[in-house]
This record gives sequence, structure tokens and C-alpha cells, in this order.
Amino acid sequence: MESRPGMSRKEFLKLSAAAGAGLALGASGLGAIVEMTKLSGSAAPSSPSSADPKDGIVPFYDKHQAGIVTPQQTYLYLAAFRVTTQSKSDLILMLKDWTKFCDLSAAGGTMKLSDSALVPPTDTGETLDLPPARLTVTFGFGPSFFGNGAFGLSKLTPRHLQDIPRMPRDNLDSSISGGDICAQVCADDQQVAFHAVRNLIRLSTGKASLKWMQEGFASGTPGKTPRNLFGFKDGTANQLHDSPAGYDQVVWAGSDEPEWMQGGSYLAYRKIQMKIESWDRTSLADQEATFGRKKVSGAAFGVSGEFDTFDAAKLPTDSHVRLAKQTGQLIHRRAYSYTDKVDPRTGNVDAGLLFISYQRNPDQQFLPMLRLMQSSDALNSYVAHVGSAMFACPAGLSAGRYIGQSILEA
Amino acid sequence: MFKSTVALLALSSVLALSACGNSSNGTNNGTNNAASGSGVIQDGTSKMLEQIKQLQDVIAKQDADGVKELGKTINDTWLSYENTVRQTFPLEYTDVEKYEMPIFSASAYDKIDFAALAQNAQGLIDALTTLQNAKPSTASSSELLLEAVKKYEQYVVDQTDKLTAQTQVFVDAVKAGDIDAAKAEYVKARVFYESIEPIAESFGDLDPKIDARLADVDDPSAWTGFHEIEKALWVDNSLAGQAAFADQLIADVKALQAEVGKLTLEPKTVVAGAMELLNEAATSKITGEEELYSHIDLVDLAANVDGSKTVYLSIIPALNENNNELADKLDSAFQSMEQLLAGYVKEGQYVLYTELTTEQIREISDQLGTLSDLMSQTAAIL
Repeated sequence: MESRPGMSRKEFLKLSAAAGAGLALGASGLGAIVEMTKLSGSAAPSSPSSADPKDGIVPFYDKHQAGIVTPQQTYLYLAAFRVTTQSKSDLILMLKDWTKFCDLSAAGGTMKLSDSALVPPTDTGETLDLPPARLTVTFGFGPSFFGNGAFGLSKLTPRHLQDIPRMPRDNLDSSISGGDICAQVCADDQQVAFHAVRNLIRLSTGKASLKWMQEGFASGTPGKTPRNLFGFKDGTANQLHDSPAGYDQVVWAGSDEPEWMQGGSYLAYRKIQMKIESWDRTSLADQEATFGRKKVSGAAFGVSGEFDTFDAAKLPTDSHVRLAKQTGQLIHRRAYSYTDKVDPRTGNVDAGLLFISYQRNPDQQFLPMLRLMQSSDALNSYVAHVGSAMFACPAGLSAGRYIGQSILEA
Repeated sequence: MFKSTVALLALSSVLALSACGNSSNGTNNGTNNAASGSGVIQDGTSKMLEQIKQLQDVIAKQDADGVKELGKTINDTWLSYENTVRQTFPLEYTDVEKYEMPIFSASAYDKIDFAALAQNAQGLIDALTTLQNAKPSTASSSELLLEAVKKYEQYVVDQTDKLTAQTQVFVDAVKAGDIDAAKAEYVKARVFYESIEPIAESFGDLDPKIDARLADVDDPSAWTGFHEIEKALWVDNSLAGQAAFADQLIADVKALQAEVGKLTLEPKTVVAGAMELLNEAATSKITGEEELYSHIDLVDLAANVDGSKTVYLSIIPALNENNNELADKLDSAFQSMEQLLAGYVKEGQYVLYTELTTEQIREISDQLGTLSDLMSQTAAIL
């Protein structure tokens, strides 16, 4: 058999036997050659986009990236990488490997373990008997990615991308903020989600370095708004723009952006520590006044249903929901809760919210809202913003193309 | 320590079971490129020899700036044709690399060891002269590989001999109650042990006796070896009662030397050992756990890397034939690692682990990750 340039015969054999729609990318560096080793249900591996969503497959290739307006899955890993290589071609190799891995994993496949018992398995293997679990991996690029002189991409910086400016009461830790590339990994099975982020980290070896990673969960009855750790519904207002036209208005970047960003979205992230112990010692009336909503029903003050139209003037002046309304802007919220260590001095649990929102224009939709909240929100007594980032998530991929190609080959 | 020993032995037995002949598929690049490469090799080697003559002059004058400048020049010349040499004369390549790298590294140091440099310069002249007269080998790659393993065995024997001699100097200082001298000799002895650690670990009970950390032992009152004396030197600041430990240490090291003398290695064991060295570096050295009291973890880490590189150099004949691209990547990963580490040499010594920032440790860790990732693929060629 004739081998292709840059690819050993063995690798070629593996590739030609491989399934998956997007595998026709160039040869990869190391070990990232993928192959379907299991199928989910009767879904045809060569066209995951035609699969029945009931199989738990969210197509990786689409007009927009999955994981943005996709109904929220139960588990999240949010990982930010620093690009360490100075070589554009190495960076591209990594992004191709990531693309192949995501294509395959979203369809419920795993990388081929190995041809040889003498080398480490290509796939870590913990999803071998697990379903796709609506896995989505959403990629975004940070301001520092475009500022990196090695790649000369500054001209392609999208219009509204910047590190979130200083806000009142910020208590940010730079080691868990920012980053060149982020991957938002979501799935209904935590092991499926971790498998994806773990293998992205492995495939980045020598090219990028994991800067920080956060783990979150969001549990809600399907069709109902999930609650945060304060026990209040989080994301009620998403319903206001829940239509293709609404998403165009709120989420998807438009024609005033560089071509690669059109149909993409800005991911705004804040890690917000919640002082749950103090909150739990606060009266129900005070808790509800802090939000401006009823705890059980989620209804705003003055109305009876969660989704009822309400008059913001009837809410306490410093209440969270009133301030959010006051800016007159909509954002698409996709937050997860987190829990972490115990503070040995106080016995308090480090817990809170991994606030994530998507919007087409953060300067207009998000930053004014954030500034207003951090200066006036009644919730400020119970929260501290400790991590922060903004990433530009490109439009969706078509099969055969790789993540970031529209930026790197623009 | 026990854990890694078991892992190494287990891996070796797996390796021995799965014999996998692969010399039939793939072409012998080494032979094909020999003719076209010979002009490049002759030219490059003549140029290097001239530059080394100049280097010897500046060494004789103890001219540190001259050494630094020529160290870089010689390295540039070597880089311009080393890939061709590696392809055509893998065994000779290994010898040149062995003497060339320390000369280049010295150019990054703030303090030059002229005596060591003079030795390396002479070694490099000999290696290059051999290279000038070398004929492309007609040996098959498996024969080349066996020859390389023999060379690696010799390296292990040499390192163990040096370990024994240096440990003797160390224990003499301990028994003389000279704390400052003992501290200085401790650092030197550790280098030789750490460069062949997996081999030492393959002799079950000797490694724990020589190299156990307090946390590793079942019974703290039965703790012996380097780290026991390390604690006395750096924490207790007293050598009282250490003479017995010193005697035990040199006896155990001599027992190791005797075992190593009888050793025959398989290529697969050698490769597994290289991986083990990098894993050691990436776990106990990078965290500062190995040298808990003296904090000379970078010395150990560099020795682990060096031992691992020796293996890589040995298996080049097989890499050339089976996965040329991997050899190129390993070559550049080792270079990056060595350059990164050279930046932490101050006054001729590695800085203490405790002087490194988290970001610096992370950079070393990432580079080790890259190297390990590549090294983990090498076993496929055997």
C-alpha cells in the first residue's frame, strides 16, 4: 500500500479504516489517529449530524458551535489553555487533533486504544461503555490569543473582545482568570465530560499548557429552569429570546464582525464565590428581596408565574433581577454551580456559581449590566467575584475543517 | 521506590513476551542517505575541528567570554548537519553528542569549569576524528541496536563506578564529621545515582536501602541511605551517629556495583528505563519531594533527563529506521529541556528547588511532559 507523505504506513491503515465525518484532515503528529470503536444505537458514524438526538448525540458540525444554545447539560468542565508553542503549524496540528477527537467523542466513539501493547493507549478509555451523553465541546479564543506576536492575528481580533475591565468589588485571582483558548465541555454524564477535557489536555502536550480548569453541575427537571446554590432559579430570562430570531438578536455575532466571528458568540465568564453559610442564615423574606423573586415559584415580585411579565419598578431598588432589567439588555445565561474545598479557618465551604453568558456584543449587553450589579446589587453581601475571562467563540464548523481554521487561515 | 521497581519489572516482562519483528516493513533510510550525506558530514566535521582547536586555545587562556562565544559557534555548526550524521552514523553521532552538549551548556553558565571543558574538548576531537573516518555500517538495525545496548551497558557500569568512587569521598567526609565537605560531596554523588536510577531499582532491596525517603519506609527506625544522611546534614546540622549509616551506604553502593557488573540488558528494558527516569523526574523531582532537606531536586532532575537522553542516543539506529520524525522531535525536545535547565545554573551549581517560582517549575514540568510524551512512543520501534 502506498503511504501518504508524512504518515507512516501503519497510520495510513488506521486512517483508512476510520469512520467519522471530519477525519479527512491532514496527518497528525502523535497518536491522535482516531477510529470508531463503538457506535451508539444505530446511528451511522459517518454522518453523526443525521443521528436522532434521542441517541444523546449533539452534532459537532453545525452552523453555530454546539454548547451555546444547546439545552443545558448536567455537567460542565471549563478549561483555559495558554498556547506555549511559537509555531503556527504545531498549533494547527493540535487544533486538528482536538477537532478529530471532538467529532468522534460527540458521536459516542473513542480513539483507537493502540496497535501496540508497548506504547500507551491513545484513548484513556473511561468512556468505552458509556453513551455520548449529549457531549458538547465549545471553543473560544481570548484577547491574549490575538495579541500573541508569534501568530500575527491581531488584525483579526473581533470588535468586542477584551479582558473584562476592573469592576467594583473585584477580588480576582489571575491564576484562574483569562487564557488563550478555552474549551467549554458539557455532558449529561460527568465521566463523559471529564474524559473529553482530559484528552484535550493530553493532545495539547508540547503545544499548550492548561492554565485553569473549573468543574460545575446544574441540575434541573427537563423544561424547567435550573436553580443555583442560593436555591433560586437561574436563567429564567433566557426564555425571552428562545427562538432563532431571538438568538440572532441576543447571541450570534453579526456582519459587523470579522468573517470568522459571524455566527459566533462572546463567552463571558465570572467565577462567583457564594457565601452560602451566611445566605442560609438569612430569612426567606430577605433572600427573596435580594433577588426580587419568590424562591419557590421563581415569580418576580408583583406577579405569580416565573415567566410572567413584570414591572421592574415593583422590585426592591437594589434587587438582583431589577438591576438586570434596568439595563434593558438580554444575555443568554448558561451558568453552572461549583463546590470545592473547606476553608480550614472558618469551616465554610468554597461554593458558588460559574457564571457563563453568551452574547453578540458584550460591550452593550453584558459589561454595563455587570458594572451595575457589582456596584449596587444586594447580592454583593453574599458573593465575591474571584475569576474572570472573555473568549470569542467562532461560528460553527463544517465537516473537514478544524477548530480555529477560519482565524488561522483567514 | 518499591512501587517503581515493580512497575519496571512488570513492564519488562510484558515487553519480553511481545516480540514484534518490524525490520521487514520500512526502508533503511540510514543506508540510502549515506552517499548524499558524506560531503556534508566531511565539511561540517572539518569546520567543527577547526573551531574546537580555537576553543582549546581560549580554554588554555581561561578566557570565559571566548569559551561562551565558541561554545555557541560550535553548537551552531553541529546543529547545521547533525541530522545527517544521526541518519548515517548513529553510533558515532552518539559520541559526538556526548561531548558537544556539555560544551554548549557551559556557554550558558556563569562560571566555567575549565578543566572539565578541556576534557570534553579533547573527547569531542576524538569523536569527530572517528566520525571523519567512519564507514557506513553494513550491520542490520537489530545488530546496530544490540551494539548500542552494549554501549549503554558500559555507560551504566561507568556511572556505577563513578557513583562508588564519589560515594566513598562522601562517606569519608561524613565520618570525618566535616559537614560542609559532606554537603558538597553529597550533591556530586547524587548525580551518578539519579542517571541510572531504574537500573538500581531493578535490584529490589538495594534501591530502598540506598535511596529511600523517610516517607517510603515501613519502619522509620530502619531508614538508611543517602536521604537519612541528607537529613542529618541539612536539618539536624549534626553528623553525630552517622558513621554507621555512612558505612552501610558505601557497602550497599558497592553491592550495587557488583550486581551491575553482571548485568545484561535487553533493548526493551533499556527503553522502559528511559521512560521510568522521566516519570521519576516528572513526579518526585518536580515536586521537590526527593531532596526534601537539601532542595537539590534540580540536580536529580537534570541527571534523570541526562540518563534518559543516553538511552535515546542508544536507540537512534532503530529510530532512524522506523520513525525518523520521532527522532527529530526527541532531539529538539531534549535540546529545549537542556537549555531550559542550563538557565538555572548559578555559580556552576543548579539553584535550589526552593528558589524556583511556581511559573518556573511549571515551565520545566511542561517541558518534561512533552519529552515523556515523545519518549513513551519509542517502544513501538523495538
